[in-house]
Amino acid sequence: MKQNTDTQVDEKNSAATSHSLNHFLLKLTGLLHNSFARFVARKALFYLVVVFFSVTLVFIIIESMPGDPVAVMLSSGNPPPGADLDALADIMRAYFGLDRPVLERYFTYLGNIFSGNLGQSFHFYPVFASNIIQYYLPYTLSLAIPVLIVSFFLGNWIGARAAYLKGKLNETSYFSLVFANQLPPFWFGLVIIFLYVVIFHSIPPIGSATQGTIPSLSVSYFMDLVAHWILPFITLLVVYVGAWATGMRSMVTHEKDSGYVRYGEQLGFKKNKLMSYTQRNAILPQMTGLNMVFNGIIGQTLIIEIVFGWPGIGLLLYNAVFNYDYPLIFGCFIVIIIIIVVGNFLIDILYGFVDPRIRTGHG
Amino acid sequence: MWELVLKSRKAMFGSIVLAVFIVLGTIVPLFFGDPYAMNLGLMGRPPSVEHLLGTTSFGQDVFVQLCNAIGNSFFVGLVAGILGTLIAVFVGAVGPYRGGLADKISNLVTNLALVLPLIPLFIIIAAVVRGLDLFLIGVILAVTSWPWAARSIRSQMLTLKEREFVNLARMSGDGNVRIVIVEILPNMMAYIMMVFVILTGTSILAESALSMIGVSTTPTITLGYMLYWAQHQTIVPFWWNIWWWFIPPGLVLTIILTAIFIIHAGLDEVFNPKLRRV
Repeated sequence: MKQNTDTQVDEKNSAATSHSLNHFLLKLTGLLHNSFARFVARKALFYLVVVFFSVTLVFIIIESMPGDPVAVMLSSGNPPPGADLDALADIMRAYFGLDRPVLERYFTYLGNIFSGNLGQSFHFYPVFASNIIQYYLPYTLSLAIPVLIVSFFLGNWIGARAAYLKGKLNETSYFSLVFANQLPPFWFGLVIIFLYVVIFHSIPPIGSATQGTIPSLSVSYFMDLVAHWILPFITLLVVYVGAWATGMRSMVTHEKDSGYVRYGEQLGFKKNKLMSYTQRNAILPQMTGLNMVFNGIIGQTLIIEIVFGWPGIGLLLYNAVFNYDYPLIFGCFIVIIIIIVVGNFLIDILYGFVDPRIRTGHG
Repeated sequence: MWELVLKSRKAMFGSIVLAVFIVLGTIVPLFFGDPYAMNLGLMGRPPSVEHLLGTTSFGQDVFVQLCNAIGNSFFVGLVAGILGTLIAVFVGAVGPYRGGLADKISNLVTNLALVLPLIPLFIIIAAVVRGLDLFLIGVILAVTSWPWAARSIRSQMLTLKEREFVNLARMSGDGNVRIVIVEILPNMMAYIMMVFVILTGTSILAESALSMIGVSTTPTITLGYMLYWAQHQTIVPFWWNIWWWFIPPGLVLTIILTAIFIIHAGLDEVFNPKLRRV
């Protein structure tokens, strides 16, 4: 009897699960019919392909690196005379798994990425690569994200105003904006350091903090960090304000010749009102540039970090490449690709929200 | 059409500036000797009449180095620009013209390459391939910088291939290759030219960035490599004290890039009458 009720309960349960499964499937198909969810799913799939492809690409590049990491590690030591270095190299190779076939290493590498553990760094052995990156990552983000946000608003604001300038002033503003946009950040950083020396007659703040200061949560340490952060920030900001302003200026210049603005003028609209209309129409095409500028800012941040000695992922990758530190190179590259992919994904979704034509695929 | 280019103030201004630098980079070095020649009696002299831009901390003439560097940078830019344009035209034209699977693949590859983070890849590649010469660097830059160009050519291709004259050529039995080369590409010449101009500029910039941080150690002097030397091979305590060494290469680089951008904007106005202000 009891057995009977048990089976009944089981049946009931399975019916409930199958019902909930059906419900879930229905919800899923409903979601798939929802064009926005489909848009997001398609983008997510695409970015997964990007991650897989670039991770594989960088593995191939590193594998074809002519140098031998073990030789680099051994050359930094000071072995006693008569030491059998070849035997030592073999032991180290076996220890780091460098003697196994390429394909096997490739699959361990892929598996390691999913578990988030890329192994111990060669150069900073026994520290794990992910622990080192954890320390460097906030520095990169604290530089790149403020630059992206501030330059977007400031640049578009300046560009919209530059479009209304008249005559000679208009031309001058155009040339100076283009010039600012075309400044190579790595050189402009040097000029900023030079200007700092000329103006303040002191050693410029290079690195993350003044030498000898102990990291702490105090206000003075934070101010020291900001003082070191401000120069690379200004360098990148000037270049990307130029980029946004050039684009916005030409967009507004076209918009202000269009029919609705002229009609508004003849109806006697206030100039400010018309300006806000043109800017609203001009900002949408500007936002398509967000992806490209984001990728550009990340790339330039990596280089600027090397120029200013700002301890971000760029500087870490730069040093890791010279040390043949495979786990750290992989780690840095994967973190960079994840930043790029997540950023682009968010921007795509944002764009889908702003412009309904994108998410529905019509128009 | 070409009269309009000549009349466009922007395009002409940019071209003249660019021409001045091309002359500086190609003809002027012929009148001077070896740019690497050191003269330790003239260490770190500021600009004067004898040495227009002063001397480096090893007594090399900065002006002579600069002229050589401009020429070499242009060489890299041209190699990368030409190869990159060819790749972009191939990927951007063949895919949409064939349609179907080829289009899907070419579109996927383009979008994929568009998101790849180029600068870390460059750092890794440049460290892998030691002893690069300028031509090889140009090839590497070309292989990585074509995607956005392919995208803009693709959108052109999609509109052009539906035109009547293309259908007419197809009906009269022309082969696909002939249609693309004889009928379609000449109509895209304006776009291809703008793509070439911009690719050249971005390649010059990318090469300078790589040399500047010291990962593409060619023995040949380029604008970026001058910056690297000015920072790392100086024997005065701080590199910023010899300002006449690191300011000129970057300034020249910025002016060249600005000229290229202005030429592009000018061409854009000529070929898209909508952009022209009446």
